[in-house]
Amino acid sequence: LDETQVRQDPEVPSAVAAIRTLLEFLKRDQSETILGLRENLTQTIRRLEEADSSVAVSSGGELFLRFISLTSLEHPDLSQCKKVMVERGELFLKKISLSRSKVAKLCHTFIKDGAKILTHSSSRVVLKVLESAAADKKRFTVYVTESQPDSAGRQMADKLQNLNIPVTVVLDAAVGYIMEKVDLVIVGAEGVVESGGIINKIGTYQLAVCSKAHNKPFYVVAESFKFVRLYPLNQQDVPERFKYKADTLKAVEDLAEEHPMIDYTPPSLITLIFTDLGVLTPSAVSDELIKLYL
Amino acid sequence: MPGADKETDLTERIEAFLADLKRGGSGTGPLRGSGEMARETTYLLRRITAQARWSSAGDLMEIIRNEGRRMTAAQPSETTVGNMVRRVLKIIREEYARSRGSSEETEQQESLHKLLTAGELSEENFRQHFVHLKANVIEAINELLTELDGTTDNIAMQALEHIHSNEVIMTVGRSRTVEAFLKDAARKRKFHVIVAECAPFCQGHEMATGLSKVGIETTVIADAAIFAVMSRVNKVIIGTQTVLANGGLRAVNGTHSVALAARHHSTPLIICAPMFKLSPQVFTTIFYPFPGSFSYCLPVLREILSKVNVHCPVFDYVPPELITLFISNIGGNAPSYIYRLMSELYHPEDHKL
Repeated sequence: LDETQVRQDPEVPSAVAAIRTLLEFLKRDQSETILGLRENLTQTIRRLEEADSSVAVSSGGELFLRFISLTSLEHPDLSQCKKVMVERGELFLKKISLSRSKVAKLCHTFIKDGAKILTHSSSRVVLKVLESAAADKKRFTVYVTESQPDSAGRQMADKLQNLNIPVTVVLDAAVGYIMEKVDLVIVGAEGVVESGGIINKIGTYQLAVCSKAHNKPFYVVAESFKFVRLYPLNQQDVPERFKYKADTLKAVEDLAEEHPMIDYTPPSLITLIFTDLGVLTPSAVSDELIKLYL
Repeated sequence: MPGADKETDLTERIEAFLADLKRGGSGTGPLRGSGEMARETTYLLRRITAQARWSSAGDLMEIIRNEGRRMTAAQPSETTVGNMVRRVLKIIREEYARSRGSSEETEQQESLHKLLTAGELSEENFRQHFVHLKANVIEAINELLTELDGTTDNIAMQALEHIHSNEVIMTVGRSRTVEAFLKDAARKRKFHVIVAECAPFCQGHEMATGLSKVGIETTVIADAAIFAVMSRVNKVIIGTQTVLANGGLRAVNGTHSVALAARHHSTPLIICAPMFKLSPQVFTTIFYPFPGSFSYCLPVLREILSKVNVHCPVFDYVPPELITLFISNIGGNAPSYIYRLMSELYHPEDHKL
């Protein structure tokens, strides 16, 4: 059940698939107490993370657990609580499926006519933003980094070409070279951490440092369910289970030989974060997380 | 009939205000400070609330939003008008929520918490009618007006904490807020002020005259000398036209250069700006060129003026990294905190009128 859900729909972000799975699990769960329910859910989340160790699944899982705790505080009776949880869970899923469009609506006004945009690897949110801007009859060109080791940038370039947006694929190493031509940088995020920084495909940090050196605005687009309770101070602080794919973690003994798949970009390099909760400065992110978790 | 008279009187006033706005921008009308602009807008909005015909909060908000749109379209560079409209809209929302009995906190901002705990997709359409809503809204607007009246004094009261004896302060052009700020500090401390004249309108000269009248030692310098003099300066205190949502500024032309010079010398840059200048806009690359003609600035080139394009942008953008502190009527804040102040002043749905 778990793994099939996760791999089902390529359009659905992994956090949403995780939450949907957890909701299904909730409906079928037989436990008698809230504590039992929480334990079962924690186990399920751990199994989901084993299947797909991205930050998004982890944040989705934690959000769901938080959601359970908040609801169980209001309704001490288990069966009634479960009914309310399932209702709210469905509603939550409905709302977050709209979040990508909300982000796109906020962000596309920042793309001016004639702009040259640089983006990194493949992000569905960035794609939606560029789609909205193109639908708004704006003319712009896009540079996409190839993003090795999985060449995700090329897929992004194909999708953009289908939208009739002029796009060029550049080498990851050519970011410094291309930066002077570019007007703004837009990237997605796999996770937004408490400090206001982001966790994203490897190469994002480099891109951010370059854009800071050239004084180009660096925008991040992310849905709000990607906010995660981590506070890394440097690259080493990011937990290993996020850095490598789940299969690698299981198969390989010595992780020092492996190449990490993600990196951490500190908030000082980010200009603005566009979420479905509005346009946030990196310092506003921790405020949002506090409102939720405390 | 008295009803119709009131209506025509109201529309007349609105038209007069719009015409004034349009004139005010082209430099031929009386040059007004943004404080007066904010106050006039609020008076007009109070009059609309009192005299226009509306039965529910939703209607009133629609009327105010429409008028607000026309006012901002008349003079886009005058952001205080839009800010006041948004404040009043927030006041209406709050009063409505209070009349309904629900707590104000839950209705307001979007947050992850709300996403998780909301019962149903809340469709707030403000259709309920409350008898006392009009009176409550007008009372709240009166409170807003009192706040507006006191802003310059509130800012000036904080002067003594920031200015110490024998300091050299630099300022740019003319700002009524900074003038009051410095004059208040001058009552108890002795310090020097260097004023950059801010070509081509050289408002710095008026500022210098005003300051020296109360006995402050003032020096006027040309804009080009700002970097050269900056090493002797302890603090830079300036005003601004607008404070943007990301903590940046839209200020008079030349401010960005001052900010960069201050950053180079690690001199603190302090902005004195009242809360009504805080606008939910974020930096866009469109700036409003002054629509007047500049032949009087360049008398020598009169013959070749037909072949030359003269651009004179009025405003500059200063990014938040260059700013040390904002002093407003509610106290001192860091630029990274501006987003929080904004969420308290305006409702996110009103950001775009």
